[in-house]
Amino acid sequence: MSALSIVFGAPAVLFGLALLPIIWWLLRLTPPRPRTELFPPLRILAKVLKKEETPAKSPWWLTVLRLLIAALIVLALAQPVMNPREVQISAEGPLVIVMDNSWSTANNWPERISVAGELIDDAEAENLPVSIVFTAEDTHNATPDTAARARERLQAAVPRPLHGNQQGAVSAVLTALESSGIGTLAVLSSGLTANDATESWQSLLDRAPRDVMVFQNTTDGTLALVAASNEANGFAVTAERLDSDHTEIHAVTANDSQGRPIAAGELRFEEGATTGTALLTVPFELRNDFANISVDGLSNAGARYLLDESARRRRVGLLSAEPLDLSQPLLSPLYYLTRALEPFADLIVPEDSELGGAIAELVEQRPSVIVMADVGTVPDEVEDLLLEWITQGGLLLRFAGPRLAGGDDSDPFVPVDLRRGERALGGALSWSEPQPLAAFSEQGAFAGMSRPDDVTVNRQVLAEPSPDLGARTWASLADGTPLVTSRAFGDGRIILFHVTAEATWSNLPISGHFVEMLRRSILLSRSTIGAQGVVEEVILPPYRLLSASGAVTTPSGAVQPLKVRSGSLPPVSFDNPPGLYGTESGFVALNLMRDADVLFAFELPDYPGPVTHSEYMRAASVDLAPYLLTAALLLLIADTLIVLFMSGAFSRLTMRKVQATAGAGLLVIGVGLAGADNPAIAADERPGDAEILASLDRTHLAYVITGDRRTDRTSRLGLNGMTRFLTYRTSLEPGEPVGVDIERDPLELYSMLYWPITVDADPPSREAISRVDTFMKNGGTVLFDTRDALAGLSSAGVVSPETARLRAILAELDIPALEPVPQDHVLTKAFYILNEFPGRYRGSPLWVEALLDTDNPDNRPARGGDGVSSIIITGNDLAGAWAIDENNIPVYPTVPPDPVQREHAYRSGVNIMMYMLTGNYKADQVHVPALLERLGQ
Amino acid sequence: MAAIGQATEAVETTPALARARQRAAYVPDLLVEAHRVANTVIAGWHGRRKRGIGENFWQFRPYVEGESLSRIDWRRSARDDNTYVRDREWEAAHTVWLWCDSSASMLFKSTLAPVSKQSRAMVILLAVAEILARSGERIASPGVLEPVAARNAAERLAAAIDLRPDKAQFPDVSQINRHSDLVLISDFLDPAEEVIDKLAPIARRGIRGHVLEICDPVEEVFPYRGRTEFVDPETGRKLTAGRAETLNEEYRQTYLARREGISESLRRLGWNFITHHTDQPASTALVALHTHLSGEPGGGVREVAS
Repeated sequence: MSALSIVFGAPAVLFGLALLPIIWWLLRLTPPRPRTELFPPLRILAKVLKKEETPAKSPWWLTVLRLLIAALIVLALAQPVMNPREVQISAEGPLVIVMDNSWSTANNWPERISVAGELIDDAEAENLPVSIVFTAEDTHNATPDTAARARERLQAAVPRPLHGNQQGAVSAVLTALESSGIGTLAVLSSGLTANDATESWQSLLDRAPRDVMVFQNTTDGTLALVAASNEANGFAVTAERLDSDHTEIHAVTANDSQGRPIAAGELRFEEGATTGTALLTVPFELRNDFANISVDGLSNAGARYLLDESARRRRVGLLSAEPLDLSQPLLSPLYYLTRALEPFADLIVPEDSELGGAIAELVEQRPSVIVMADVGTVPDEVEDLLLEWITQGGLLLRFAGPRLAGGDDSDPFVPVDLRRGERALGGALSWSEPQPLAAFSEQGAFAGMSRPDDVTVNRQVLAEPSPDLGARTWASLADGTPLVTSRAFGDGRIILFHVTAEATWSNLPISGHFVEMLRRSILLSRSTIGAQGVVEEVILPPYRLLSASGAVTTPSGAVQPLKVRSGSLPPVSFDNPPGLYGTESGFVALNLMRDADVLFAFELPDYPGPVTHSEYMRAASVDLAPYLLTAALLLLIADTLIVLFMSGAFSRLTMRKVQATAGAGLLVIGVGLAGADNPAIAADERPGDAEILASLDRTHLAYVITGDRRTDRTSRLGLNGMTRFLTYRTSLEPGEPVGVDIERDPLELYSMLYWPITVDADPPSREAISRVDTFMKNGGTVLFDTRDALAGLSSAGVVSPETARLRAILAELDIPALEPVPQDHVLTKAFYILNEFPGRYRGSPLWVEALLDTDNPDNRPARGGDGVSSIIITGNDLAGAWAIDENNIPVYPTVPPDPVQREHAYRSGVNIMMYMLTGNYKADQVHVPALLERLGQ
Repeated sequence: MAAIGQATEAVETTPALARARQRAAYVPDLLVEAHRVANTVIAGWHGRRKRGIGENFWQFRPYVEGESLSRIDWRRSARDDNTYVRDREWEAAHTVWLWCDSSASMLFKSTLAPVSKQSRAMVILLAVAEILARSGERIASPGVLEPVAARNAAERLAAAIDLRPDKAQFPDVSQINRHSDLVLISDFLDPAEEVIDKLAPIARRGIRGHVLEICDPVEEVFPYRGRTEFVDPETGRKLTAGRAETLNEEYRQTYLARREGISESLRRLGWNFITHHTDQPASTALVALHTHLSGEPGGGVREVAS
């Protein structure tokens, strides 16, 4: 049976192919011969006739195309079928199906089901009993039964995330068929086996089945993740595979608890090796979020490795002999440790201030690491406790200090023997210089780190020379004296930094290498929360389970709680499938494969009888007719288009139109591509950005759009005039005045807001006023103009409508006390020296924020000069006086009509602008007489 | 059904000349309007109705200071106190260049017309030559015949046409002087732009042109029906129309638009454009051409010589 065998359901139809020459002849027939006419103005006729211009004969390739269409239709009608099924089973004896449903079958389970189903169909046709047994079940039932029952069992079977128990399955077959012979033995293998099944198979083959069929796919790509661990430089993943004859590379992904991929790596199997590794080099913080590791493209339980807390953050206990002095945190030894460890460890600080109690309290919480900063002597009563903790795998990280230097000689918690007292380098009474560090030792945890150039050590404790001192030294000074020493202690380890944890003895704690050294040290420690931390037997309920297809699911009813005893996990079984056991706050990962597990290939022992080896077919049979008909239809469409094209249906579009259309199309595509390429750029833009950019390059005077057209026009013209005046007279050259809608427009672009109060417009909303309030608080100044100098503000007791409106607005604003501009205020001398601030009217005072110390006029400018009044109120209609039209002619007359008053109005505006823009600059000038006077004294 | 159109042999010039003479007999003497040829000095037979070099008396006019005394007509001057000069009528010949198209398309003759276009064109051409020769004008044909003023100029032209090497090409007109007249007879089936591109430079040289378009009635009426294959007699290109009657309206519009385009462009160049159908007598075209050549289109008032 070849892979591409094609059988026709109705071969007689193929004689239809003989019709092709007839069709060819028909196609070659041309329409009736036209009457030939001489026609001199043919060029004129050609313009008219283009659409009907057809050649007398269709081109040969068009004929071929049409013949192809006809041939395809004939072939399709002949009902071609690819890969017809041809499975034959022995006509005698029961059919025995041994079917793997272990984890690796999940990839192509439907194909396996269909193969088994076809075998059962054949058995049913032969009226044979069927014995079907699945390997990855807890009980194996191989009792021969009818084909219908066997089919029911087949449909009920699912792949399990377990190892197949072929031995048990074969034994069940042997038991069930003890009396009768075996007709056909069909083995639907997963390609894997437990290593002890060969004997069972042999005994089964000894029963001399008449026919043996083995279905097995190639074992390429069969792999399983066996271990994953958090290493110093990344997350290491180990995987096993079956065949080792070529290099293989897979992508592995680390997922978080929500199933989102957060890191990716490359799993590489070298040629000749069955073990492959991957290293996910991602930041430490990210590694703590790994919930499982999966191999991309494989959906089975072996390709997903679950992680529990053992790969997570370490718990670190901090211990210091001196109480935490919060008033001088930079001198506290724990300060730098806390800062360095916080990013990648959970820190515990004991409540008990007494050392012995604190150590007991820490050990009670079973941290991975205990850091001791300058603890001289461990109290006797907790010494055993601490020793036991270290022996069981704890990591003790010590820092030297005056107390350690002065401790007794029998301190068991040091990696090397220490000399009493410390060694001082540099200083007034020493010849020696502060020592830099030498390169890190190649053996220790710091191997591979670059040598810190900027770290110098002034003071340290010295180790007694001993033969193994070099082996225990991880870091040393340039003169060779050890700086960091370490010693394994039982399952645990003691690490000693020969300097203090604060920056008194060296500047190591304030260098970046300190963090890295601590991180690497702590990575050496074991997690003590996972299975290793469990001492007695505990029973953990299933929390999440791994399905055969590698998905993390919620547990089903059949799963039993997991019994964990003294740090060892039970093997994966039907009752305890792979998954997470425990609760959400703490769980243990039970994985399909363990660290030392390998995969074994299934191999049937030699059998003298007929053995058929075949693969699972991807598809039993494929009906080709729909594809052929589709192809014929597509060709028919192509033929139609060609005929249309040849008859000139498309040529009516003039070339120009085509070009324009094509150009527009390309443009659309280009724009689309550009848009798709730069989503970030596109997303960054907001409506109105252009206006903001345009108004940022220059200072703009701004006025509030009140909604009253006349007032707004006056404001615009007025600020226009002011802008012009400023440009002529000062170095300030503002841009075009801007009308601002305080309800919507950004106010922070402007330093000054001119706000004419009008009662003809709606009052501003509360939100707008709060925006103005923010504007004023952030340093902006609002110039209110009630323009009612003749009606109100100055005359006591009479309140004009504008003033009432202004009061309503100001009631919402948070403004300080106001006062009329005093004689010595900066406003009076910011640019011009002014005594009053007239506009169209004169007489209304200019109100500004009151300077605080009004009682003492001498001090006033000194304090008030710093702040620019955020609010200025006038009633003199400044904009009215400033307003000029296009011809630079004033729009409104001043009251009384006096050109000098208008000039003064402009000068008032200049002073106000200068005051707002420069602030206290002129206020200092106010002091000049007083300063000179003082200097004279 | 027999074909409507057919290609005919090119007509012999001798019978054409006979017919041309017949036609020319119907037409009065042609006096080519020549007010623009004031400086032509070749003496002709016909007075120009203006003073100039000639033999016949034209007018007496007062003597003007500076004129040659020899020109004073003393006899007339003696009659009164004034001094008169005798002016003579200017008698000068005008050169008219004649050309007719003899390309393959001109050989077309349909069932609706008695003669082919080329035949009609040749008759008209020779008739014009005959008339002009009769009037003493100088006749020429570009690339065929140098200007000749003779009574038998039409015969000489006919003989020259017979001998001309390539009949289809548009002639080289560079030898034509300004102020001459040029008579072009063709079917002008090229696109209007090409025709105008060809003629406009000639017109700009100051040559007065008279363009006669000869068309077969079939070309204008388009009486074809049914599946018809049209063949261009010049290029041999073929077009097949499934139902020719459906093209009638559109074709006629295009055809007439071309004629209108040529006519309009020529009018703007100051040239005359006359259309002649081969089913009409040649005299109609001849009369029209005569009218234009004599400068009296529509019998209008002659422009007074200055």
